[in-house]
Amino acid sequence: MTPDIDGNEPDEIARLLRERLPRHQAPTRLRASVGEALDPPRRGRPSLWLAPALSALATAMVMLLWLAPALPRSSPDQLQRLSRAVVSEYARAVFADEVNPGAVPASLPRIMRESGVLLQWVFTGDADITLVNAQLAYLEGGRALALTYQDRAGHSVSYIITRAPNVAIPDRERVQIARWRPAVRTEDGFSLIVWKQAGLVCVMVSDLVSDADLGRFKEYFIKVRSSTELSDSY
Amino acid sequence: MADDEFRQQALRHIDALYNLAVYLTRNGSEAEDLVQETYARALRFSHRFEPGTYMRAWMFQILRNTFLTFYRLREREPALSEAGVPDGEDPMFHHAPAEDGETAGAHMDLERALGRIPEEFRTPLLLAEVEGLSLEEVARIMDCPVGTVKSRIFRAKERLRALLTDYGGKN
Repeated sequence: MTPDIDGNEPDEIARLLRERLPRHQAPTRLRASVGEALDPPRRGRPSLWLAPALSALATAMVMLLWLAPALPRSSPDQLQRLSRAVVSEYARAVFADEVNPGAVPASLPRIMRESGVLLQWVFTGDADITLVNAQLAYLEGGRALALTYQDRAGHSVSYIITRAPNVAIPDRERVQIARWRPAVRTEDGFSLIVWKQAGLVCVMVSDLVSDADLGRFKEYFIKVRSSTELSDSY
Repeated sequence: MADDEFRQQALRHIDALYNLAVYLTRNGSEAEDLVQETYARALRFSHRFEPGTYMRAWMFQILRNTFLTFYRLREREPALSEAGVPDGEDPMFHHAPAEDGETAGAHMDLERALGRIPEEFRTPLLLAEVEGLSLEEVARIMDCPVGTVKSRIFRAKERLRALLTDYGGKN
């Protein structure tokens, strides 16, 4: 149905806009992240006990550094474990040479259902890079959706989306790429770009590792990031 | 203005900002990014906010400028939006579940028509008619004279009317 616009008064349009145009409420996660950004930790007035406490802390840190080599090594963090799993999945896909662009449109609905990741928009490619495969993947025992692209030089780029609520993206690894700040890291000789979107963890992985290639990888990230919309509420 | 007061006031406008962001970007995730970036910039430039002026209009101005800075660049890259993204009829594009019946149809037509109006016309129309801002405030946000705002709103309504009539004719 089309809204009633029989009247010739321009204010009829204003009324339609006010009454019928849906109002979009800010999602809870956006409200929370903005609230967090607006409310940094408060700095109180320095207390009398602050100086001796800092001195004690410094002494403890010196002791810790002295003893550090003898301490047991901690296990890799969640992000590193996820990165390794993503690289394994990427290497498996590259060695298996799984390229089947014709089957992607037909298989994608099933893969989305099985992975629990809903792609509302998907980047299918352009003159530089083409979507060649979509498949279900398993990372750390969890299901993931993996899209594989190939560029004109034959490099493979995998875009893997998974639920990993415990994975935090450290600020020190984040870099500005266009208007996003994903983490850029290397793992076992491969480049990875990691970010969170709609509550899901997204990773792009590639063998584009040299400085020039990394620039190209970031361009691919911009294309994928700006043209893909997803949610975990399949 | 004290920082706390600034933050409290700024957060009150998040729904209005998000709503405008959705109609500018036509994409929920990008709208979220845009609003986050808007708040980051607002906080960075909070010292420039003049107490006593209308914070809502100031925030809308930041949002629009952010949108123009990043999205205008993208609009110059047709490969991203034309070759890269399937159109609405493609089976790979899944619409969010819509409301049922006539209301949903009306909303979709109205939103679709609105999406076809250039940003320079769409934004003043939304700010004035949906958000209820005065023409002077809209002019400040758009960085143009009040007369231009009036003209753009009038033309936006005419264009919207024509588009809605077209959709009605096709149904």
